[in-house]
Formats: sequence, C-alpha cells, structure tokens
Amino acid sequence: MMADTNPVPSTVSGDFEPRIVAFLCNWCSYAGADLAGISRIQYPPSIRVVRVPCSGRVDPFYILKALQQGADGVLVSGCHPGDCHYLTGNYVARRRFAVLHDLLGFFGIEPGRVSFSWVSAAEGERFAEVVREVTERVRALGPSNRLADARLTEKAERAG
Amino acid sequence: MPRPTAVEQQLRARARELLEKREVAGVLGFRAGTLPGTCVPFLATEPGDADRLVLNRDCAANLAAWLPRLRHRGRIAVVARGPDSRSIVNLVKENQVERDRLHIIGVADPDDTQPVRNPVVFDEFLGERAPDSPPDDYADIREFEALPPAERWQALLDELSRCIRCYACRQVCPNCYCPTCFVDASRPAWVGRTPDPSDNVLFHMVRAIHMAGRCVECGACAKACPIGIPLMIINRKVSLIVRDRFGSVPGTDPDAPLPLTAFDSEDREEFIR
Ligand code: SF4
Ligand code: SF4
Repeated sequence: MMADTNPVPSTVSGDFEPRIVAFLCNWCSYAGADLAGISRIQYPPSIRVVRVPCSGRVDPFYILKALQQGADGVLVSGCHPGDCHYLTGNYVARRRFAVLHDLLGFFGIEPGRVSFSWVSAAEGERFAEVVREVTERVRALGPSNRLADARLTEKAERAG
Repeated sequence: MPRPTAVEQQLRARARELLEKREVAGVLGFRAGTLPGTCVPFLATEPGDADRLVLNRDCAANLAAWLPRLRHRGRIAVVARGPDSRSIVNLVKENQVERDRLHIIGVADPDDTQPVRNPVVFDEFLGERAPDSPPDDYADIREFEALPPAERWQALLDELSRCIRCYACRQVCPNCYCPTCFVDASRPAWVGRTPDPSDNVLFHMVRAIHMAGRCVECGACAKACPIGIPLMIINRKVSLIVRDRFGSVPGTDPDAPLPLTAFDSEDREEFIR
C-alpha cells in the first residue's frame, strides 16, 4: 500500500507543500470528505486519502510507515464515539492511538505530525476545517525528517 | 558449584517428587549456563535432572516465554517469580497457555530490583515471600522526559541506530509468540530488513506498541541484547502510558481484560480533535 507513495520529498519543487496521508473510515469521515467535495467546500489539496473500513482498522504501524516513507503528516479520522458502524471499533482504536500519541511524544516527534479527529458523514464543513488545521500545523513544522527514511530523500535528490 | 540455597533445595526436592510421581511431563526452571554468572532455561524431565535446577539473580530469562512452545508436552510445572507469573497471567488471557495444564511453583524473585517480586498466581509457594517493592515512581522515565524533544529524539536514535536486528529481544520475550512476526513478513514486507536507522526506529516503535498492556518489565529483552541497547526505557515508558491512561499494571489482575483489547467510553481523548 505505502510502497506506492511517491518518495520525492515535497521540498524538491520549491515551496513547501505538506504531503499528508489521511486514513478515513468508510462510514463517517470518508463520507464527510465526500460531502465536503460535493458541497464544493474549499480545503487544501494536501491530503492523500486512504479509505479504511473503520478507524479500528488503522494499525499504528500504518501511521509510522507513512511517516517513514515520506509523509509530512498523518491524519486519522473516524466516527464520533458512540457512532461507530461496528459499534465499538473507534473506542478500541482510541486506546491504541493514545498509546501511539504518547509514544511519539516520548520519542521527540513533533506534536502535530500525527493528528486524530472524529468527523461524521454530515460534517463536510468540519472535515474541511480539520484538513485546513492539520495542513497549517504541518506546514508550520516543515518537512518531516525524524522518522523519514533518508535513503528515499537521497535517491530523490540524485534523481533531481 | 556454590552450595544450593534453601529455596533451591526445596525446589529440587519438589521437582524430583513431581517427576517421580509422573504428575508432570517436565519442570521448567533454570540451570547454570556454560559461562560463569549465566543461567539458561531448563526443562527437567527425569527425576535425575532435578538437582541441576538453580535459582539466583543471574536467571535473566522470563520462563513464561517457553510455555507456548511446550503446550503439546502435557502438564508442565513451571518455576514462577513475579515477572514470570505476570506473563503467565497474560498468556492465559491470550489463549497461549492453558492454566489447568500448568502447575505453577511460585518463588520470590531473587532480583530485588523487580517492581513485582512475588508471584501473582501459583499452585504452591516455596521459600520466603520477598518484601513488597516500593511503588514505582518511574523516576528514570520522568527524568528522560524532562529533556527537550530534539534531545530525546537524538538519544533514542543514537541508541537504536546501533541495533543489528538480531531479534534476540523478541526471541526471549513472552509476548512474542506470533508465528510470523511483522518484521519477518515478506508479502508485504512491512519493515525494511536492514539496520538503517529509520527501519530500526520503525521496528522498535512498533515493538513497543505491541508490548502495550502486556510488557511485565521482566527485563529479559534488554539482558538478551548483545549490543546493550537500553530497551527498558522504551518498555517502561509504555508501561507508564498504560498505567496512567488505563489504570492497568499488566499481569497483576487475572480477571481484568488486556487494556488494549478493552475500552472505557470515558477514556481520555484530549489528543483527538
Ligand atoms: S518486552 Fe517486556 S515482557 Fe518482553 S522481555 Fe522485554 S521486559 Fe520482558
Ligand atoms: S536484541 Fe538488541 S540488537 Fe538484537 S534486535 Fe533487539 S535491540 Fe536490536
């Protein structure tokens, strides 16, 4: 899955435009993104969406791997607590994300590289807002380098 | 050979008896290693093996790690100190070990640095109980956390960059029984199989996450590491997260679910937008 992400670092093309991988649950946040789209709500084109059945499907590994493979930020979004299509998937996910969140902080990874949100299918405006917020935060942080695989950057630089 | 301690004598006598009466197929404990100051896990299967059993501070392994592999050997007696017993509690919850096919011989951990020295579960107890360890304040972790983030990152990166990915830490850990570890999977190859710093950090962060709510801080992984990477700082941080967020101390409550398989609708979510 992640092997397909373009390894060229976003800085190569001049201005820093963050590249953010967004894991969106099928039932709420993906539908929220869809609603934002069909409502023609503007938000930055910084996100690359990966649709997942449930936020509970998002293994913390995916998030770390995205950062290793060159994402400047990651957004994970699912149904609001109590609204999970599978009833409790997001509650279980929340504990996992809490561990990852605290561990990232411990490792000294900038808070804001990885963001979590709950966005329902009816919240198109909120989805756009979350993306704007996350994009601005990552833009302010600059390109991600702590977890990134330096071999990919070198390769991209060699390729010009 | 040093003279056997009182608890070693009791242990040997009891192991001999269990094996003579054929009450168990084996007694899992430790024997002296080939190098001085080392001990290795040992399955006594004949009454004559009993006298080789030892118990001292050099017994670095967590014996629970051997239990899933001995599952098909019939009833097994296992020597369990605090950490071994905590891992047994976890493995029973994870359906890797059947409690009723184990005979747990509880002993106090000779290692007085262990946060939990006395066994949590046992069928019989030999020797004296150890005094309860003072409550862990995680001072080492708090001290590290007081460093600025960039310094923490550099310190951990420097340590983890030295990892040669031998996976000794995984092999000795009672939590690592997966038939195919995520680092060994080749289709897809989740983690690059190189000791590149980014692959190493990825391995260690995911390993840490897999330990959440399960690591009993036995220290076996850190002691097995040939490079001397201080893995306990990562493991202990994970324990602290799990204790602070979910009120869970792994393997100390046989009736509580594993924290990462459970949830509370009121779990703190201050980090979620
Ligand atoms: S990860 Fe925890 S349980 Fe596993 S060997 Fe290390 S200290 Fe023991
Ligand atoms: S035992 Fe040490 S060197 Fe080997 S994989 Fe684990 S941390 Fe790396």
